[in-house]
Amino acid sequence: MTIFLASFGFGLVTASVLAIASIGFTLQFGVTDVLNLAYGAVMIAGAFIAYVINQQGVSVWIGLAVAVVACSVGSVLLNACIYTPFQRRGASPITMVIVSLGMTLIIEFGVQAIAGGTAVSYTMSQGPNVRADGLILSAVQLVVIGLSVLVMIGTHVLLRYTKLGKAMRATAANRTLARNCGIRTSRVITITWALTGALCGLAGVVFAMDAGSFDATATDLFLVLILAAVFLGGPGQAYGAMLGAVVIGLATEISAAYITADYKYVIAFVALLVMLGVRPTGLLGKAG
Amino acid sequence: MNSYYVLNLLIYAAVDAMACLGLSQQFGVGGVTNFGFIIFQAAGGYAAAILAMPNQSANGAFQSYIGGWNLPFPIPWIGAAVVGGVIALPFTFLVGRRLRGDFAAVGLLVTAVLLNLLVTNYKPLLDGDAGLSLIPAPFQGEYNPLSSNYQWVFAAGSLVMCAVVYLLVRRITESPYGRSLRAMRDNDLVADSLGKSLLSLRTAMLVTGGAIAGLSGGILVSYITTWSPAAWGYAETVVLFAAVIIGGAGNHLGAILGAVLVPVGFEEVTRYIPTSNNLPPNLIPSLEWVAIGLLIVIFLWFRPQGILPERKRVIKAGQTPAAKAGDPAKPREPAKLGEQARSAEPAEPTPAAMGTAQAPSAGAVAAGPLLAGTAASGPADGLEPHGEIVLQAVDVARDFGGVRAVDGVSFSVRRGTVTGLIGPNGAGKSTLLAMLAGTLPVSSGRIRYQGEDVTHLPAYRRARLGLVRTFQLASEFKRLTVMENLLSAVPGNRGDSFRGALAGRRYWRDDEAAAITAAEELLERFGLAALANNYAGDLSGGQRRLVEIMRALMAEPRVLLLDEPMAGVHPNLARRIGNELIALCAGGLTVLMVEHELAIMDEFCDPVIAMAEGAVLAQGTMSELRSRTEVVEAYLVG
Repeated sequence: MTIFLASFGFGLVTASVLAIASIGFTLQFGVTDVLNLAYGAVMIAGAFIAYVINQQGVSVWIGLAVAVVACSVGSVLLNACIYTPFQRRGASPITMVIVSLGMTLIIEFGVQAIAGGTAVSYTMSQGPNVRADGLILSAVQLVVIGLSVLVMIGTHVLLRYTKLGKAMRATAANRTLARNCGIRTSRVITITWALTGALCGLAGVVFAMDAGSFDATATDLFLVLILAAVFLGGPGQAYGAMLGAVVIGLATEISAAYITADYKYVIAFVALLVMLGVRPTGLLGKAG
Repeated sequence: MNSYYVLNLLIYAAVDAMACLGLSQQFGVGGVTNFGFIIFQAAGGYAAAILAMPNQSANGAFQSYIGGWNLPFPIPWIGAAVVGGVIALPFTFLVGRRLRGDFAAVGLLVTAVLLNLLVTNYKPLLDGDAGLSLIPAPFQGEYNPLSSNYQWVFAAGSLVMCAVVYLLVRRITESPYGRSLRAMRDNDLVADSLGKSLLSLRTAMLVTGGAIAGLSGGILVSYITTWSPAAWGYAETVVLFAAVIIGGAGNHLGAILGAVLVPVGFEEVTRYIPTSNNLPPNLIPSLEWVAIGLLIVIFLWFRPQGILPERKRVIKAGQTPAAKAGDPAKPREPAKLGEQARSAEPAEPTPAAMGTAQAPSAGAVAAGPLLAGTAASGPADGLEPHGEIVLQAVDVARDFGGVRAVDGVSFSVRRGTVTGLIGPNGAGKSTLLAMLAGTLPVSSGRIRYQGEDVTHLPAYRRARLGLVRTFQLASEFKRLTVMENLLSAVPGNRGDSFRGALAGRRYWRDDEAAAITAAEELLERFGLAALANNYAGDLSGGQRRLVEIMRALMAEPRVLLLDEPMAGVHPNLARRIGNELIALCAGGLTVLMVEHELAIMDEFCDPVIAMAEGAVLAQGTMSELRSRTEVVEAYLVG
C-alpha cells in the first residue's frame, strides 16, 4: 500500500507537469494548426534559462518567471519567422512537421552546444515534506501541483468566459470562417503562441525541478508523454489534454512502481499508438 | 590519406546511399513520411548480426543475445533485407486512409524513440546498451578482413548492392505503378477515388523501403562488426531525411547525391576537426546536429525541390506505334481542335480504353453546335422510360458531429441519363456525392450500384467497378503532367501493380501505348493536346477542371459523379463538355452532376433532383421543377 501511495504521489506530480505541457501543446496545435515537435526543445531551453539565472545566485522561482517570458517571446518569434512564412506559402502539414523537426534539432542541440552535454540541477530547497497517510510530497511538489491546477482553471476560464478564448476556439474550428466573421485571426494566433509558449516555459522549469537533474536532451522522452496525453484526449482539445495528462501521468508512475522504471514509457507509447490507430480524434474528440 | 580511409568512405557512401534510396522511394515517390525509418536499418543490422554470430556461449559469453546461428554469407545479408521488410508490416495500420499523414509520421517517430529505449534497457534480447560486437565479416574464416584486398572486394560488393537497389527503385518509379505512387503522394483522396488502394500502395512502400533499409544495415554491421542502440537514435532518421530533401525528393540520383553530401560529408568533416582541450565537450557533435536542422529548414524554404529536382516525364505525341496510326500531323492549337476535324475521322477504339470506345459517336454528336439541342433532349424523348436503375440511394444520411448534412435521402439514377443535382449551398449535395462514391462513409442508409449493395465498399473498390467521381475543389495531381494525370486513371494497365512494375517495361509497354493513344485522343477532343506535357499544377482553373473530367473518363466509368464540373469553365467550353457527356451517355455512360448553373441543367440534364437542407425536395425536368413552389422558394429565388 505504501508503495502504491508513494508512486501515486509521484504520479500526481508527473501528471501536473504533463498537464501544463499538454495544455500548451494541444492549444498550440488546435489554434495554429502546427504540430510543433520543437515544443520539447523549447521546454528544455526554458529550463536552461532558469538554470543560468539560478547559477547567478538568484532564486529559481525568479528564473522560472524569466523562462516563462523568454519562451513566450521565443515561441512568438519561432512562429513569426519560421512557421507562418511556411504556412503562407501553402506548405503541407507534412512539410510543417519536417520543419518543426529541423527546428527541434536546431534548438535542442543549440542548447547542448552552449550548455555542454552534462546534466545539471537547480540550487533550491525542496521545503518541508508534507505527509498524509504514506503519501509524502515536498513543498516544491505541492507548489508544482498547485501551479498545474491554476493553469487548468485559467485555461477553463479563458476558453469559456473570455472573448479571447472564444476567438481562439473559433479560429481553431475554422480559421477562414472566423476571419470572415471579423475575428483578427492572425492576432489570435500570435497571442496563442505567446500563451502556449509561456506554458511551455513553465512546463520546462517545473519538469526540470521534478526531474532533479537534466540535460539538453531530457525532454526527448517527455515529448512522448506529451504526445500520448494530447492524442489520448484528442489533438486540439484542452480538456482532453487535462484528462490525458492525469491518466498518462498516473499510469506511468504507478506502473513504474510495479514493473521496472525503464519501461514506464511503454504504457504511454501503447496508449498513443492505440489512439492513433483506432481513434485519432481522441477520447473527447468527435468521431471521424 | 590512406586507402583504408578511402575504402571506409566508399563503404559508408554505399550504405548511406542505399538507405537514402529506400527513403526516396518511400517519401519522395510514395509520399509516405516514415519518421521511424532508422528502425528498419537497425532491424536489418541486428538480424545480420545474430544470423552470422555463433551462439552467445560460444562467443566468449560476454554478451547476451537471442539467436546466434553462425550462418555463412550471404544468408545474413538476405536475412537483413527480409527482416527489414517483414517488420514493416505491423506499421501498415498507421498509414492506411484513416490517419492524417503528419499524425502517422508522429506515430512512427515515437515508435523509433521507444524501440530504441526498449532495446537499450532489455539486455537479454540484443545485449542492451552495450550492443553486439565481434560480428563476423563475410568469409572471415577464409580471408583476412583487415587486408587491403578484402576491403576492396567488400567495397566493390557494397557498391554493386547499391547499384542493384538503384535499378530496383528506378524500375518501380518509372513504371505505371510508380505513377500511381506519385499520384497518391500528390493527392491521396483523389487517387483513392480513382481506384488506387492506398493501403496496398503504402504497405508496398513500407515493405520495400524497410527491406532496402534492412539490407543497408546488414551490410553496415558486417563491415563495422558492432551494432548498438547509440547507432540508431531517432535523430539518425532526420539525417537521412535531410539527405533526401537536399539531394531532391523524388529523384533517386538526388538521393544518392544527398547521401554523399550529408551523412558521408559530415563523417568526413568531423574527422579533420582537431580535438582541442579548449573546446567544451560535445560542442562539435552538437553543432553538427544544429547544422543538419538548419540545412533542412533552409532547403525547404529556398529550394524545396532539392539540388536535383524530380525529372519531368515528357511523353511525346505520336511516339507510340498506336498513335502513329492516327493523325500526328494535326495542328496543336487548343482553340481549333475537337470540332469538325475529329468527327470526320473516327478513331480506332483500343481494347484497353473501353471508356473512350464511344469516341467516334462522341465526335459525331459534338460535330455541330446545332446538334447539341437535339442531343440534349434526345434521351428524354426517345428513350422514355429511361434504362434500368444503375445507382440507388436508400434513406442515406450523414451526420457531422450534431449537424445532419444529409437527412434520409432516397433516389435512383437510370442508365444513360445525365441526372442533375441542384440545391442551395449547404443542401448536402457534395456530401451526398462523396457518400455515393465512398469517399465519406454513410451514417445510415444503403447505396446500391448495378444491383449490388456497395454501402460498405471502399472508394477505390467502387471506382474499379466503374463508379467514379470528381471533386468540387481542384484535385489534379500537381507534380504529374496533364498526360500523366490522364494515364494515372487507366485501370487494368499491366504495369500498374508491384509485380508488373518489377517485370519491367517490356511487360507493360503495349498497355501503356494503348493508354497513351486513348489519352491523346481525349486531349485532342477537349483541346488540351498542346498542354499534354505541362505540369497539371501550372494550369489555369478552367483547364484543371477539364483535366479532372478527362481523367475521370480515362478511368472507364459506367457512372460518373461530377461535382460542379463547369465551375470556372468558359461557357462555350462548358457546353462542349455537356455535349460530350450527352454523347457518351448515348453510348451507355450514366452521369450524376452537381451544378449551380441552371442554364446547364436546362440544356443537358434530365431528370433533375432538387435538394435543400439535406433532403430531396423534388425530382423532374427543369421545367417541372420551376413550376414547383417549394423548389422555387428553396432555391430558384434564393
